[in-house]
Amino acid sequence: MTGLLTAGSALWMATPARVQAEVSDADFKALQETVAKLADEVQSLRQTNQVVQQIHEQDQVQLQQLQQKLAETQQTANDAQQKAVAVATAQTQPLPRVPLDEATVNHNFMMLGDAEMQFVKPNQGNGSFYMADFAPIFLYRGGDNILFEAGFDTTLSNNNNPNTNPPNQGAGYTTTFNLSFAQLDYVMTDYMTFCAGYMLLPLGTYTERGAGWLNKLPDNPLPVDELIPGAGAGVQLRGGVPLGETGKIFNYSVYGVNGVSSSDTTGNAGSLDLNGNVGPNLHQDPAGGGRLGIFMPYKPHYDLELGISGMSGQWDNAGNHIWTAGVFDAALHLGSSIEAKGEYIHTQFGSDQGNVAQDGWWTQVGYKLAGLNLEFPGINNLELIGRFDSVHGGYNQTDNLYNYSTRRYTVGYVYYITSAFLFEGDYEFLHSNDPSQVNQLILQLSYGF
Amino acid sequence: MNKPPLLFRSSLLVAGVCLLRIAFPCTAGAAPGDTNAAVISATAPAPASPVLEHKLSGAELYSIHCNRCHPERYPTERTAAQWKTIMLHMQVRAGIPGEQSRRILKYLQENSGR
Repeated sequence: MTGLLTAGSALWMATPARVQAEVSDADFKALQETVAKLADEVQSLRQTNQVVQQIHEQDQVQLQQLQQKLAETQQTANDAQQKAVAVATAQTQPLPRVPLDEATVNHNFMMLGDAEMQFVKPNQGNGSFYMADFAPIFLYRGGDNILFEAGFDTTLSNNNNPNTNPPNQGAGYTTTFNLSFAQLDYVMTDYMTFCAGYMLLPLGTYTERGAGWLNKLPDNPLPVDELIPGAGAGVQLRGGVPLGETGKIFNYSVYGVNGVSSSDTTGNAGSLDLNGNVGPNLHQDPAGGGRLGIFMPYKPHYDLELGISGMSGQWDNAGNHIWTAGVFDAALHLGSSIEAKGEYIHTQFGSDQGNVAQDGWWTQVGYKLAGLNLEFPGINNLELIGRFDSVHGGYNQTDNLYNYSTRRYTVGYVYYITSAFLFEGDYEFLHSNDPSQVNQLILQLSYGF
Repeated sequence: MNKPPLLFRSSLLVAGVCLLRIAFPCTAGAAPGDTNAAVISATAPAPASPVLEHKLSGAELYSIHCNRCHPERYPTERTAAQWKTIMLHMQVRAGIPGEQSRRILKYLQENSGR
């Protein structure tokens, strides 16, 4: 290596004079001009390169924008494709049911009603899960003025009847299905409705307001069950007329129905049948009746209602005897906690044995303990009930006097599980010359729907 | 005539005490039953009202007429069409004049369930 360097240096020192001698000034200038041109070209190329670089960068930006737009377009296309697939799928399947706008529907069918279950423990008998009752009311509204309503009572009860003395220990159970009412209503004006069919009769108010969850006690007042018919087949005009703008109304009803009848065609006093005359009239003339009432609210939950009603007509097949009933009813609300109501019922009828008069009355007072403003658990859902009812009637052929007299004192309660789901209970003290009437405990679950 | 049973007489006594409690409430200005009887009275939709000297609203009429026979039901329990049917039924059954019935129906439908 050292040898090579030494040879190289010697050669370099030997040649310079000869090279300088070969480059002229003209050549040198030409070379300078060439170098200058080259420098200019390099500068131009650099500038061109910068422009190209800027254009490239702009192209990159545009390219990115185009790629983004492409992605969006692809997404739009995918969405459109999915929608198209969904539409195609929907078109090949049945359309889901779309709820109708109920405000535009002019006909409507629905069901209301109540259901009960009772436990009864008579004073001299076994406790029984005595009754299961399902009482639907079907309503069909045709337009604004026509309503058909029908109520049924489906009752399941065992054959152990604790109301007999001694209690009947029968086997098996009984299912009954009764039509309580079925009537067509035509609202003629704001103040008058025409009704036709098998109707609850406005003899007092209890017969129309006696459903299990309305009554507050598990059983009906004695005179209502024993002295007057609950329903009748016929026609009726009824309505309410406002008395001013403060809620007072005057109520009226007038009706003609087949009326009560004789269970064996005769005029025997013991043959009076209050509810059986629903087919062909068993006597010549229909019975007539009506009610006049006034409802006077003082403010919400404070009101008084008074009414007087009556009904009269033939009852034996020969048409020789007249049955007549008169009822006075009253109801009072003092706030949302206190309710008092009652009815006095008087009936009389001629018979082959002479004139028979019957009467009875009932009064019931309830107080919701929420009115005490106490904060004990459950107390605000509790209502205490007291009722007194009595009935005097039946024909005594010996002395032409009442042979049947029962007075009943009832203490009870209602526990409101909800406003329409009630747990009711009462204990009934009976004083009667009928030995089948004994003290009893009744518990009832009642639901109004 | 037999005397009423002891339990019945005791109940009357309790009822009398309750009435006195109502007549002389401990809390001044408190309306009995307004604060804690939601389940019983179900009166959420019906505002309290003074003595009736004005044309009644649908809510007031609803409170007045329903309470004649049963606790008030919440408007949301039924649809608008169902309330129309029920009000026709109640118009006949309770003898509610048509104009009042329409005002009640309007209130119920505006607050009905869907």
